Amino acid sequence: MKRVAITGFGIVSPIGIGRQEFWNALTQGMSGIAPISLFDARSFQVQLAGEIKTHPDLPQKAASAAREDRKVGFAYLACAQSMEQAGLTSFDEGTLLHLGTSLETFDLEKVIIDGKPDFKAVATRNLNNGPALQVPLDTAARLLADAFGRPGRSLTNCSACAAGTQAIGHSFQAVRSGRFRKAVCGGFDSMLNPLGVGGFQLLGALTTDNARGSSACRPFDSERQGTVLGEGAAIFVLEPLEEAASAGKDILAEILGYASTFDAHSLSAPDPEGSGAIRAMSGALSDAGISAEQIMHVNAHGTGTLLNDQTEAHAVRHVLGKHWERVPVSATKSMTGHLIAAAGAVETGACLLPIVRGILPPNPSLERVGTGCELNHVRNPGERFLGGYVLKNSFGFGGQNASLVMRKCDG
Amino acid sequence: MPAEVVVTGIGMVTPLGATAAESAKAWEEGLFASCSPLPELAGTPLESSPTARLPAMDPAQRLSGSRRMLKYMSGAAVLGCVAAREALAEAAVKERFPSDRVGLYAGTGLAAASVDEVHEMVAQSIGDDGRLSCDLLGKRGLSATNPLLSFKILANMPPCLISILEGIRGPNLIFTPWEGQTAAAILEAWQAVSSGKADCALAGAADTAAHPSTFVYLRQAGLLRQEEFPASAAAYLVFERADAAVKAQRRIHARIIDARLFPAKEGIVDPLSARMGRTFAAAPAILCGLACLSKQSKISISGVDAQTFEMEFAPA
Repeated sequence: MKRVAITGFGIVSPIGIGRQEFWNALTQGMSGIAPISLFDARSFQVQLAGEIKTHPDLPQKAASAAREDRKVGFAYLACAQSMEQAGLTSFDEGTLLHLGTSLETFDLEKVIIDGKPDFKAVATRNLNNGPALQVPLDTAARLLADAFGRPGRSLTNCSACAAGTQAIGHSFQAVRSGRFRKAVCGGFDSMLNPLGVGGFQLLGALTTDNARGSSACRPFDSERQGTVLGEGAAIFVLEPLEEAASAGKDILAEILGYASTFDAHSLSAPDPEGSGAIRAMSGALSDAGISAEQIMHVNAHGTGTLLNDQTEAHAVRHVLGKHWERVPVSATKSMTGHLIAAAGAVETGACLLPIVRGILPPNPSLERVGTGCELNHVRNPGERFLGGYVLKNSFGFGGQNASLVMRKCDG
Repeated sequence: MPAEVVVTGIGMVTPLGATAAESAKAWEEGLFASCSPLPELAGTPLESSPTARLPAMDPAQRLSGSRRMLKYMSGAAVLGCVAAREALAEAAVKERFPSDRVGLYAGTGLAAASVDEVHEMVAQSIGDDGRLSCDLLGKRGLSATNPLLSFKILANMPPCLISILEGIRGPNLIFTPWEGQTAAAILEAWQAVSSGKADCALAGAADTAAHPSTFVYLRQAGLLRQEEFPASAAAYLVFERADAAVKAQRRIHARIIDARLFPAKEGIVDPLSARMGRTFAAAPAILCGLACLSKQSKISISGVDAQTFEMEFAPA
């Protein structure tokens, strides 16, 4: 079994593009949540999101793909950053490409022909002109293969909010076992379009407390009302640690354990006992060969919804046992919003802040801890990380759970 | 040392049969799928294009005890849940394995939103200029929309519904949307059982390629040749360790000898397409199921995502 290092990290997030900008924003507790500007959401109950406000230039093919589906552009940018940091220029047959994403982009405008919805006319007019209505989820994987060469295997993971963490965890296991020499993995997503925001509004998962503005996403707070959607991408390069060290590469962190589970309880609500979450965390600790008392930091899924946060807090306390009061817990969706399939990847990037810089990301919108949400929350920017193992949680719609364990590389 | 893995449960809903046994029998007899055009596409250039018809099947009966969940299900979810239940029941998975030791490794096809549901949302949201008005969408369109729409178009929902209905709580991976992704899921399931990560794994996929919006997309994208027809289908297989199956005296359909997934050297090669239609994400699982039931020793398929999947079996 090989030890596995993160040697590249690229990120496009509502609080910064590129790892330094992202980590600086996290260090300061800066929120990227603001009124939606991508479309007119004034008549929607939900009017806030974590948008990408600036867009670096993209090569022509990536720019063209991003015009059809903006999340594809985020994936390209994050991938290019991570490859550059890892000193890679191309994929090869030993490369696993594994990306998480969630919902196909449907362009509602294109269903309208001559002032009315007309599916038949769409079928008629566009039959020989390429796809009209939807963008498949493997579009980014195809774009990246075009840009960086064909990987040995390309996987598009659609495990909703757990997809990014699953992609990283599965890739970690594939490199650890020697099935692949390296992996390029992570998540990308954007639901910031009328159908995406509207669909989640209908589910009742999003806060309508628009007056809260940048602090509307309030993980573990007593006044939390729901989550806020965000968009972006985070992509990592994973390589065998010894080979990366021999090559003199900058090693950001070592991944040591991973597990995934199902709740098998409900499509939208977590198991109130948190058994799936507990098994995911315990499984990741077991996979890493460590005990709960060795965990020194938790990056929570922390959505700001009533049910998730209470269940997660219960599950974290259960897993950490008597140590829970001393383990600092961050909830970075308070700043980025919920990036759905990219959330786990972006938050894995947030876990690198304490590992690389020794600073814990805060939960700046937390004012008063909600009932049942008691944990050692990181409230203030700049709190120091004492070192040790870091646990990352992701829990998805449909009841999918995934947890990762990582730490600073000890050489 | 990796453990030997066997197939002890197979479930299918295909144009050739509403169960695995019916599908395999029709396949062995050389039958072809019944085809007909989609009424939703009357008046379009696709109005006479054939799509495979599924045999009559009552989901409420096949999913008895889970009827209240049908309202959350897309067509793919219904097919997947029916096929999964058949496979799990044959292998008596619930009775024999702890739920957290059962893994689920699945492929899913393109999302197929109900045209009717989207139609009403859009109809309520067209402004005076004849274009989509976000203002009207917020005021009227969303309230005219089924609040469960997201459950029907999120790609992970069909396998998640299987986990909920069947109580599967173990490790999982869900890939989308083409043949190579389901093949990867099957490969992962085999390795999970072989390595001991799971005691048992359900592997397979559902795809509704014959749904009107999916059919249109496939033709627009050039992914269906003129002579080909789309088909909706699902197939799931149960993998477990050979020693566990023997000890429990289960019927073993086949032993897995090897499986490989690698970049395709040629174009699309789907052995099912001529008789059953193109089932895309579901095809690798159907092929595996038919091979096990028909005592074939090897399957091979190359799909839209330019990956070739080969799997070798030996008789029990």
